[in-house]
Amino acid sequence: MKIAVCVKLVPSTTALIRVSADGKALDCTGVEMVMSPYDEFALEEALKARDKAAGSEILVVSVGGDGAAKNLEQAYALGVDQCVHVKAPDADAAAAARCAAAVLKTFAPDLVFCGRQAIDDDQWLFPGMLGELLDLPHVTAASSFALSADNAKAECKRRIEGGEETIEIALPALISAEKGLNDPRSPTLKGRLNAKKKTVTVKTPAELGLDAAAMAPALKVEGYAPPPPKSAGKVIAKPAKEAAAELVKLLREEAKVI
Amino acid sequence: MGADILVVAEHKDGKVKKTACELLTVARTLAAARGGKVLAAVLGPGAGQAAAELGAWGAETVLVGEAGFEAYASLKWTRAICEAAAARRPAAILMSVSSLSRDLAGRVAARAQAALASDCTALSAEGDGFKIVRPMLAGRALVTAVHAGPGPLLATLRPNVFTAEKPAAPAAGTVEALACADDPRDQRVVVKSFAAGGGTRPELTEAAVVVSGGRSLGSADAFKVIYDLADALGAAAGASRAAVDAGYAPHSMQVGQTGKTVSPVLYIACGISGAIQHLAGMRTSKYIVAINTDPNAPIFKLADYGIVGDLFEVVPALTEEVNKAKA
Repeated sequence: MKIAVCVKLVPSTTALIRVSADGKALDCTGVEMVMSPYDEFALEEALKARDKAAGSEILVVSVGGDGAAKNLEQAYALGVDQCVHVKAPDADAAAAARCAAAVLKTFAPDLVFCGRQAIDDDQWLFPGMLGELLDLPHVTAASSFALSADNAKAECKRRIEGGEETIEIALPALISAEKGLNDPRSPTLKGRLNAKKKTVTVKTPAELGLDAAAMAPALKVEGYAPPPPKSAGKVIAKPAKEAAAELVKLLREEAKVI
Repeated sequence: MGADILVVAEHKDGKVKKTACELLTVARTLAAARGGKVLAAVLGPGAGQAAAELGAWGAETVLVGEAGFEAYASLKWTRAICEAAAARRPAAILMSVSSLSRDLAGRVAARAQAALASDCTALSAEGDGFKIVRPMLAGRALVTAVHAGPGPLLATLRPNVFTAEKPAAPAAGTVEALACADDPRDQRVVVKSFAAGGGTRPELTEAAVVVSGGRSLGSADAFKVIYDLADALGAAAGASRAAVDAGYAPHSMQVGQTGKTVSPVLYIACGISGAIQHLAGMRTSKYIVAINTDPNAPIFKLADYGIVGDLFEVVPALTEEVNKAKA
């Protein structure tokens, strides 16, 4: 089987993000960059699928700036077969999906895994758009994934409002990963050493046949702002029973929310 | 691109969801600014029944897909919405943030050549286009962006952020069939079964009130104090990642960066210190209440009301007061 994984380098979940003085950019200087956590589940699921289907190969694609090489070294250390970096530091989620689609069209994967969302732009756009561009059916935020014995289809579970769906999907297919889909493995020392010897194929959008229009942002960003500061709240310093009574009164009469 | 606004209205067995009413309220303002009409698309079993209510909320035309839409299928739903968009050429397509829009928005954006803005917390008409505000980086930054075509804007709106208001007079709500022929290729992905779970409380992501517990609850059994308060308030119950990782509550209850994003009118955090990953999942709540023994817990910086105290004393007292107030 041919298996593809899409990964993105993003600021770590605890990183402090500053907005530039003019409000026109986000300042990520000195911020720790990591593989988007949902992509780690996607990568692990690809490795599991390769373990199951003998003779499979894994191609990993990352679209972004030079830092993406860090993701791909991690992927090589985990034992993937090939990595492609599409150099497009300013690509938004839609442009990134076009880049990944251009790479994967020639690879013709049976399975594509990606994280349900990248935790920087939080758009949840990439998987569905990539599925559409490659004409692959998709499952969003799969919390389990099981290939059939003949690798022709898979069964996934997906949590939705009020319960859980069991979904059957025919291959070739695209799966976006939910947290808990699996327990991602760590690279071995041997894997890390091997990763140093591997080379990443670097492409530009132009080399993939994508022009300026295809790479143009879908929306024009006017500016960024930190979350609005909250004015100091009211702290009720009383014993439990009295505090509870006062809080209920405030919620009813001041906030009018209960 | 026309001037109409197309709302994808969600419903449950024909009963229109509150989130759909929020979308229609926004759509009316946008359509008025553009000189267009509000259209609603409603799909699935009971869709026809929902049409009248959608009219009352301001939909001039309701595109109903009921026959052939018995079971949810993402490829067919995508096709139906995109065919409606191709025929009506709306300036914007609005969906609520939900499992449905998470599943469909990326595909619809690709096919309808629409610009997607997810999780919008503000949306207005701006010149020939639209202006949106949305959180990114799990709420650590807000981005303001404008859309001016050429294709439509596809915006998903956070529940409970926009207030649903009925128009003074209902719109026509003229029903038209949303015809969409079957295609065997739609069967490439199908929902085989659905297991209901989560009990009788409202859905976490849609609830107007959420009561959440943290690791200091100490056990799954202790979460009963959280559930009791939630039930007294008719609220959904949530949990911090620490509580979920400790096995006190299921992952389906997790609020935060790697769980669910909630935006209720009232969020009550009990024994939750307020790690940045948790704040990411609830910071757009309208009112935040924090109950914690540590007066320096970061959650108090975000709280409108705080009680410094032991949740095992304060929460049951709150439940009692709420029940008293209701009586």
